[in-house]
Amino acid sequence: MLLFFVRRLSLFLFTMLLLTWFAFSLAHLFPGDPLINLTGQVNANPEQLIALGQQYHTEDHMIFQYFSYLEHIISGDLGLSMASQLPIASELANLLPATIELSIVALAIAMITGVPIGFVAAIYHKRKVDDVILTFSMIGYSIPIFWLGLLAVLIFSIELGWLPSAGQLSLIYEIDHVTGFLIIDILLSDNTYKWQAFADATAHIILPACVVALAPATIFIRLARTTMLEILETSYIKAAKAKGLSFRQIIYRHAVRNAMIQVVRHVGLQFASLMTLAMVTEVIFSWPGIGRWLIDSIYQRDYTAIQNGLLVLSIFIFIVHIITDLTYAGLNPLARERSYGS
Amino acid sequence: MARDKIYQEEEFPSPIQQLWQSFRETPVVMVGFCCFVFLVALALFSPIITPYSSIENHLDSLLVPPAWDDKGNVSFLLGTDNLGRDMLSRLIHGASLTFGSSFIVVIISLFLGVIIGSLAALTKGLKSSFLNHFLDVVLSIPSLLFAIVIVAILGPGLENTLFAITVVLIPQFVHVTRNAISEEFDKDYVLASRLDGASKYRILIYSIFPNIIDKIIRQATLAQSAAILDIAALGFLGLGAPIPLPEWGAMLANGIDLFYIAPWTVYLPGLAILFSVIATNLVGEGMRHAVRARKEYQ
Amino acid sequence: MKFSFSSRHIINYSLLAVIFLSGCDTSETALLTEKSIIYCSEGSPESFNPQTVTSGTTIDATAYQLYNRLLSFDSQDNSLIPELAKSWHITRDGTKVTFYLRKDVQFHDTDYFTPTRVLNADDVIFSFERILEQDHPYHEVSGGRYPFFNNNNFASIVERIEKINDFTIRFHLTGPNKGFLSSLATDYAVILSAEYADQLALQSSEQNIDIYPIGTGPFKFQEYRAGSFIRYYRHQDYWQSPALIQQLLFDITPNNTGRLTKLLASECDIVAYPIAHQTIDQHPALSLDQVTAYNVAYFGFNTQKPPFDNKLVRQAVAYAINKDAIMDAVYYGQAERAKSLLPPSAWDYEQSVNQIDYSIAKAQELLAEAGIEPGSLTIDIWAMPVQRAYNPDAVTMAKLIQADLQNIGINSNIVSYEWATFLKRLSNGEHQSVLIGWTADYADPDNFFTPLLSCSSARTGTNRALWCNDEFDQLLADALATSSSEQRRAYYQQAIELIAQEVPLVPIAHSKRFQARSSSVQGLVLDPFGGIDFTKVTKN
Repeated sequence: MLLFFVRRLSLFLFTMLLLTWFAFSLAHLFPGDPLINLTGQVNANPEQLIALGQQYHTEDHMIFQYFSYLEHIISGDLGLSMASQLPIASELANLLPATIELSIVALAIAMITGVPIGFVAAIYHKRKVDDVILTFSMIGYSIPIFWLGLLAVLIFSIELGWLPSAGQLSLIYEIDHVTGFLIIDILLSDNTYKWQAFADATAHIILPACVVALAPATIFIRLARTTMLEILETSYIKAAKAKGLSFRQIIYRHAVRNAMIQVVRHVGLQFASLMTLAMVTEVIFSWPGIGRWLIDSIYQRDYTAIQNGLLVLSIFIFIVHIITDLTYAGLNPLARERSYGS
Repeated sequence: MARDKIYQEEEFPSPIQQLWQSFRETPVVMVGFCCFVFLVALALFSPIITPYSSIENHLDSLLVPPAWDDKGNVSFLLGTDNLGRDMLSRLIHGASLTFGSSFIVVIISLFLGVIIGSLAALTKGLKSSFLNHFLDVVLSIPSLLFAIVIVAILGPGLENTLFAITVVLIPQFVHVTRNAISEEFDKDYVLASRLDGASKYRILIYSIFPNIIDKIIRQATLAQSAAILDIAALGFLGLGAPIPLPEWGAMLANGIDLFYIAPWTVYLPGLAILFSVIATNLVGEGMRHAVRARKEYQ
Repeated sequence: MKFSFSSRHIINYSLLAVIFLSGCDTSETALLTEKSIIYCSEGSPESFNPQTVTSGTTIDATAYQLYNRLLSFDSQDNSLIPELAKSWHITRDGTKVTFYLRKDVQFHDTDYFTPTRVLNADDVIFSFERILEQDHPYHEVSGGRYPFFNNNNFASIVERIEKINDFTIRFHLTGPNKGFLSSLATDYAVILSAEYADQLALQSSEQNIDIYPIGTGPFKFQEYRAGSFIRYYRHQDYWQSPALIQQLLFDITPNNTGRLTKLLASECDIVAYPIAHQTIDQHPALSLDQVTAYNVAYFGFNTQKPPFDNKLVRQAVAYAINKDAIMDAVYYGQAERAKSLLPPSAWDYEQSVNQIDYSIAKAQELLAEAGIEPGSLTIDIWAMPVQRAYNPDAVTMAKLIQADLQNIGINSNIVSYEWATFLKRLSNGEHQSVLIGWTADYADPDNFFTPLLSCSSARTGTNRALWCNDEFDQLLADALATSSSEQRRAYYQQAIELIAQEVPLVPIAHSKRFQARSSSVQGLVLDPFGGIDFTKVTKN
């Protein structure tokens, strides 16, 4: 396990180096002065620029420039957004939690619905139920998410009027920013309308989370189904059958547990694609998350925001990836043996 | 699988023949395949079969509903948008932009990916380790996100989108090719030709490629459905095709402003995307079955 | 509530939770909803100080909510009525104007400022000297641009401002001026707090004056999140009767369909610039308000940059534009086709003008004369990203014009940015041509010509054509100086003809201003000159 951990750590450091170098080189790839692209100081006067140039070692070799950039990143200085002139670090501190919140709820929905359905499909393998589930999962996997979002708004918000169509919380509730995670902030706040706000926030997250969850849910269905089918073929299940355990006992005691390990392994990969789906969904549901912000930044050619926003987003995705990898390794000793380069 | 064969010498169908065989056995896949071929034809011949130009404004027939509506007009079978452009023509033209370009994108990245993947499979040691780490990092980034990154660098536009998606898809092909080749290398028939004194590259081209081609095609269908969705998503977000081009995603985004007065401008492009992705996925599904069937067969 | 609607258990459970939780205190929720108004606006304000801007979005969000002016216009007949000044007096030669201020006007009391005194002469003097004096400590804060006042040459009209006593001030003018009083009643001439400015100066955080605003208006600033929302609270000690609602929220929703969706899903009470009027009209719980607005939508050419520094190219493009198609496709027949800059419903000036009619042949001829080969020219058309009363959909309009220009062999790209960025770049003159418009601040033809086409406005950036013509400026100056309305009319007639000849811009349409609201919202006042008054709004 230790070796595995060290190997992952080295991969992590390697990736961080790659990502920060990439973000750093973006400043040079984008049009305009790399220094302004890095800092976002579009209104700086010449003296300020000279001072900034010294801070970022623009006169020195590229490597020194890179290290001074790294220094700024590590100290939490991500520059200013060119468009709004607000510090990007504080903007991200507001936005990233909203996206994470949406992704986590969506992930939960996807797993809670997808995995059991996949198990059911496997249990009823080669029967009608299996076919129906597979057909639906194929359609769910093929629907363009932005279209699905529009249809969901039309049906659930406008025609039926059950759920709100936009935003994270009705604006009439005033909640202080503490953690950035709205639901936690609501619970922490001492607003008189706390519980109404909580109910309102819950109602707001359902629709976008379900839209984001659909495609990952179909993947979990397939995954759970395949894994379960494989497990049902293994010798330990056969042994359990031979011991005279009932079908129900076999499924609950052995199959589900082992299948879940396989599912966990994919959560990391799924989380990344989930975040992407969440980014697109944010545009439709006006969710105040990083996706909408990033896409706006692209429209506005706000290079500082693009570059550092992407950096933070990919670091976050990668951290999740590593964490699930470690969890999986913790659960499944076999996984630790895999190595590269042989 | 038990096989009752009278003759010792049996003729093995090539993987492509096996693929076709297995396609014909499943009607659903066959339907998907026909739809796929239909879309390819549409994309190829779109300039000939469209009733109108896709950017021609018919200012006397704005927002005409599709023909089955009471207020519809047969000369505009699927209605018109807010500038009086014929929806049918735009959708057909869009087939070559969204579906057609995704097809080309996949072929280019397949070509590049397979070359890199083959080279990777033949390298060992530190280089290979580096490549694997690199691939791990790249593959863990979702394709759409990666495409957004590249578009962010190059600036919005259809060419940039296509370039971005090509680049994004390459690592998947590298990965599949490399894994498939390493797997095959351990097999006896490779050993046999090796003992015959065949060079690595000869083995690769004459022995291994014919045996992994179905896996690569399967990956290509997966890549194709991802490419369609990504092109459309970027078009929808306004980062892809510029305004007058009838790319399906961009059409849909354009239709949003008309959602409540002319809902067909939103429904139709969405359905077109859904249709093409399902067709592609059905072909992919058939491919998956075929690959698995062949595995069991061996 | 319905329970049997979805196969997804999770929705059921969460909804159950919602129902359970919201069941705790339904009466209180109802109260909070009733006491708050959510106004879905079309864009972010550029600043919280109307002195420094011209965009209607900013005016809607700030001018009437946060501030008061010395005077205002009567909503019926556009005559001047007292606001912060309870009365005023003009000397016979018209050069000295004295204002007597109200003595009961309280400034906002917020987290960041607590006023110790009521409004007095110092506040008025501070507000105007900030604009007038180049070396005033606050002049350069927020960029030092005061477009409305610069366009009107305010600095050359006002010689100095004198404090007579704590509640009396006198403006010394350089000469009699017809527009002076009207300009004090516009949305831009707001009164700021001198005491707050002093406090900020002590903390050396002067820039906060336009970011965390303090005014005397019916609402006070609470929170602003860029691109997302503005939260205002009621100003309890408002000198007129306080607003009936407690909270006013601007939900910034640039997307047209997004705004309509929020209205249909009851997430907004009032929506700016609604689309799909038919849908709203047919909806039982919604209503559509309209008011005749003094505005014009136009296609402006950057006359400082090729190819539009060439008059022939401008004329050619003007001939190529099919305005009737625009009337149908963009306005759905709800606007008047523009013949000149002035809306015909307000002033009847244009009868004898040589109109530029749609003619491709004429356009091609002019292009050939300018020596431009068909297909050799590519231009950028900037289309504003937001809806305004005068132009509900600039991008569609741009697409139509793109097709029109294609007919005469000119290729074009449509360019658009987020609204605040768009305006900033436009003021820098980065465009080649632009689809934008203008809403008058008061009922005077001068308020169309001066801000849009005068030389002073070319310097401040509201003249999107960057066109400066001495003959034209002389006509405007003569028109303002004369007291005979007959004479004035003649000058403006000439000005219109000059525009038709030189074509710095092509006027396209005059439209009504629309606003949609849920029928439970009562008492909303739309202003013909832009701006919305929320003080008398109630909800039941």
